[in-house]
Amino acid sequence: MDNNVNSRPAAMAGGEKKLTRKERIINKVRLHLSMSVREIFEKMEEDETRPRSMAYFDNILAKFMHEGKGVIKARAGQKVIGTYCVFVPEEIIYAAGGYPVRLCAGSHDSAEVGEDFLPDVACPMVKSEMGFAAMPILEFYQQCDMVALPASCHWKLKMGEMLEPFDDVHMLDVPRVKEAERARVYWLDEVKRFQARVEKITGKRIRRKQLREAIGMIQRAQREVHRFQELRKHSPAVVLGRDALEVLNAYFYDEAEPWTGALSELNDELEARIEQGIHVAPPRATRIMLTGSPMVFPNWKVPFIIEDLGGIIVADEFCTSQRYLSDMVSVDEGTMGDMLHAIADRYVLPCACPTFSNTIERRDRIARLVDDYQVEGVIYHVLKGCHPFDIELKIIENLLQEKGVPMLKIETDYSPEDVEQLRTRIEAFQETLSGRR
Amino acid sequence: MDVQRLRLIVQSIAFILLIYGGLFAIDLGNRLPTFACAYVPDNGGGCFLVGFQHMLSRPLPQFMGEQGIRLLKAIGIFALWAVVINKAWCGWICPFGLLQDLLTKLRTWLSIDLSRFSWIAHKRYKSVKYILLALLILIPLGIGNGLISRDWTAPFCQMCPARPILPLFQGDVSEFMIDFTSIPTMLLTGAAIILVGLMFTTAFVKRRFLCSYCPMLAFLSLFDKVGLFSLKKYGDLCTRCGNCFRACPMEIREIEEEKSIKNLVTQDCILCLRCVEACPENQALEARFAGFAFMKADAKAFLNRQHGSPAKPKPTPAQKKKNK
Repeated sequence: MDNNVNSRPAAMAGGEKKLTRKERIINKVRLHLSMSVREIFEKMEEDETRPRSMAYFDNILAKFMHEGKGVIKARAGQKVIGTYCVFVPEEIIYAAGGYPVRLCAGSHDSAEVGEDFLPDVACPMVKSEMGFAAMPILEFYQQCDMVALPASCHWKLKMGEMLEPFDDVHMLDVPRVKEAERARVYWLDEVKRFQARVEKITGKRIRRKQLREAIGMIQRAQREVHRFQELRKHSPAVVLGRDALEVLNAYFYDEAEPWTGALSELNDELEARIEQGIHVAPPRATRIMLTGSPMVFPNWKVPFIIEDLGGIIVADEFCTSQRYLSDMVSVDEGTMGDMLHAIADRYVLPCACPTFSNTIERRDRIARLVDDYQVEGVIYHVLKGCHPFDIELKIIENLLQEKGVPMLKIETDYSPEDVEQLRTRIEAFQETLSGRR
Repeated sequence: MDVQRLRLIVQSIAFILLIYGGLFAIDLGNRLPTFACAYVPDNGGGCFLVGFQHMLSRPLPQFMGEQGIRLLKAIGIFALWAVVINKAWCGWICPFGLLQDLLTKLRTWLSIDLSRFSWIAHKRYKSVKYILLALLILIPLGIGNGLISRDWTAPFCQMCPARPILPLFQGDVSEFMIDFTSIPTMLLTGAAIILVGLMFTTAFVKRRFLCSYCPMLAFLSLFDKVGLFSLKKYGDLCTRCGNCFRACPMEIREIEEEKSIKNLVTQDCILCLRCVEACPENQALEARFAGFAFMKADAKAFLNRQHGSPAKPKPTPAQKKKNK
């Protein structure tokens, strides 16, 4: 692992002069990244009603200020497997004794680095991921012994080859039309191919027992997530939406088991708060739901704007947040084939990713979230260049119109330039929402 | 309560009642819509199909009189059973079903993977049971009207795989044979032995393989619409995760696919309720009896069943000593 980190810049560099220029860029990006992270944490510290149990999650993400050192707690010799998107079965990585770390990135500074590899119109998330992979800005991006990349959208499809100079890449082909029988069989084969690859990397064969334990571990994490989501339904809100985003975002880098424990503590605290009547937002705060392209740490400008303006994000439909751990593996017979089938089904069939042909899963999910969380308005976030979410916009808009819930589309990227403009629009939107009451 | 465990208990009790009931002077009648084999010496109730086949093997004019009334009465009793318990007869009572379920348990214990039909094949084979049901009516009628030889008498008893097996539980091996008296009896009893073999071999590949072709299931499924048990699905709560389809021993795809049909007791459904158990979405599926929802899909209960419950903290050695 350490070998990798040291050898990478040297291998990339042509001559002495280039190396210094590259090092300059690295230092600049590191500095900017740590500044933007510090800004986020300073703002969050101002919030006096913040649950104390958030400290655990802060602790993980705050390490972005220090080159991401110690973010992942892989034991010596434990293989680190990077994942992108929501389609990589973590159960298999855990069962093989690996350490999964989700690499979806939200840094504006690394996106600037990534621009060297991708066209201008590419979405900032892919740019940011390329930037982190290509340059040793955050330590754990360089620690991965393998990265698994699902071919979900077109950017991700082509990103595999671009990553190859920096990472050992394993592409996973996600079928687009999931109603087709062969598509399901094919995806199951893809999962098995992934399993074989992971076993080769870690050198451990996955047995029935380990896989069952890994599934159980994630299920326990999901149990706490469900509890957490139930608590978010409470009105007035007991936890801010940005804190909820942080909780799930911390799961990217943490191991499932300690994370579950920390979330369980947070849930206990929130339950106690409900009893004591402590709230983080006034009862009249507008209840807003986020959907569309994911917002990954530290790209939290929109949630901050919303909640600074007195709104409250009660739910979201992001693959990096509420949708990440919501669907569950159902072990039926407990044989190896049954468990792999269950895992394969869980990652694709209920998934509401817009890269699939149908939108029914997404429509139903959004309709249900709006009802369950008493959502008053929806903010549809589109990252510039994120075509799948942009394409589905009209369909979701129609659905929300039918339900009588106003929607605001925001098209932006990771740069902080448009913050004031966004603030004005979101403020107007929230005023409309409170005017409707 | 774990429904599958409850089901196993009910199945076992039903097995004892139906196979050994006669020894305790229990008689549930001989119009039961389940494989309560009439060839078991002291059984606690008899299979409807035995009497049905015999009643049908008469000249047609006889049905206009007393025979017709007898037949209607038998069908009436059958229909009553079918309406009240639906196909829970198959999933919860049938002794032959229990044997197949136990073999499945053995298979999973041996960690042998399940195999599935392709969707199109499954759809095609589904109609076999209705063809068998038609033959079950037509052959006895043919015998009664002199069109078919008497050697074909009660053909579905002769070829039934339960007939050689179930009497074995009372130590009666006399049915476990091929009857060489004539060509028809040889063919039919031979088929029964082949089906027995199939039951034991397919149990290591599939679940409830023979049930999909059972004429009794075909007969019972005629009463699906009026049965008191129903399986309701709320399509807008369903995420189509496919858990129900994977759990279904009869490989019924409608359970996952349908978002609009409300009652999902389809022709193959044996009401084992595994789908409701496998459903992780609150209230997406519910099982009802006479309009009363007695079981609902529930995320929390789902996770509990999946052994996902938080591990109890292990007592430290000091605590252990204290307890002693």
